Amino acid sequence: MPNAIITGTSRGLGRALAEKLLNEGWNVWGFSRKASLIKHARFTEQLLDVTDESAVQQAVNLMSNNAVTFDLLVNNAGAASMNALLLTPAKTAEALMRLNYLGSFHTLQAVGKLMVRQRRGLIINITTVAVPLALAGEAAYVATKAAVDALTKVAAQELQSQGITVIGLGFGPIETDLIKAVGKEKLALINQRIGRPDGTTLNQAVDFIFEHVDMKSITTGQLYYLGKIN
Amino acid sequence: MITRTQILTLILNRLKMLGEELHKPALVEATEQTRLFGDKADLDSMGLVTLIADLEYDLQKKLGWSVTLVDEKAMSRLTSPFRRVDFLTDYLVEVVNQKKT
Repeated sequence: MPNAIITGTSRGLGRALAEKLLNEGWNVWGFSRKASLIKHARFTEQLLDVTDESAVQQAVNLMSNNAVTFDLLVNNAGAASMNALLLTPAKTAEALMRLNYLGSFHTLQAVGKLMVRQRRGLIINITTVAVPLALAGEAAYVATKAAVDALTKVAAQELQSQGITVIGLGFGPIETDLIKAVGKEKLALINQRIGRPDGTTLNQAVDFIFEHVDMKSITTGQLYYLGKIN
Repeated sequence: MITRTQILTLILNRLKMLGEELHKPALVEATEQTRLFGDKADLDSMGLVTLIADLEYDLQKKLGWSVTLVDEKAMSRLTSPFRRVDFLTDYLVEVVNQKKT
């Protein structure tokens, strides 16, 4: 049975993806700060903050002690903040960078070492269409995800020779808590721009990720979007 | 407890495995004087990363606690501990002893 680590499994996309993989026969390790409602024999929860480097490293060390090999890492944990650039508190920008970028960095580094030893693995960093669209009102969030995209491309270059594939999967607004503070008109506008006037459901996003878990059809270092990006 | 000789053996064993994988006889027959990184070295940067990841794992298994070999102090030393096998051996002894105390 394949093994996956997913960050941010307490709710939203992370939780839905964990449930999908469990249904498909995977073993799933979930990293999240809050307990998840997932109850499954093949689901193992690690309650931790991905911005805490040593906590992430310890959790991954525990796993490697059990001689488990990991096929997939999904860096999903993240937060967003919608605000005009000039009105965004610096503390908000800093907290977002810590969670969205450094959280992915710590997990990629710890799990990447495991995968280097295995000489194989797939790492998926969750990103957003807000980066290529340069969405107004999301400067702090977009900057963090642009950093994640850069991390994806460089990690792909560095890890390719070790049999590790690294990609980014980007979405428009998905029906989760992340977008509940965003006005309907703004959401409609973004969905129009990416050619998905009906928006993106949680199931559609999960299916898009699952399609890309098939390593034969993907190119390392690429950013794939659910939606049209010109 | 782990001795310098045991650490050196761990490093040489890992280099032997890497050498076989990368078809580099110089790594298979590595000694304390073998260069790991820099000019005239037989490992490229990814090879070095692999060696470090493998050694962290070996040390963790042997000692029962986790060891991180790359930190800011290691990277900023005038003489890189990753340059030669003997430098790396001494550095690992230092890291293990520091963690112990």
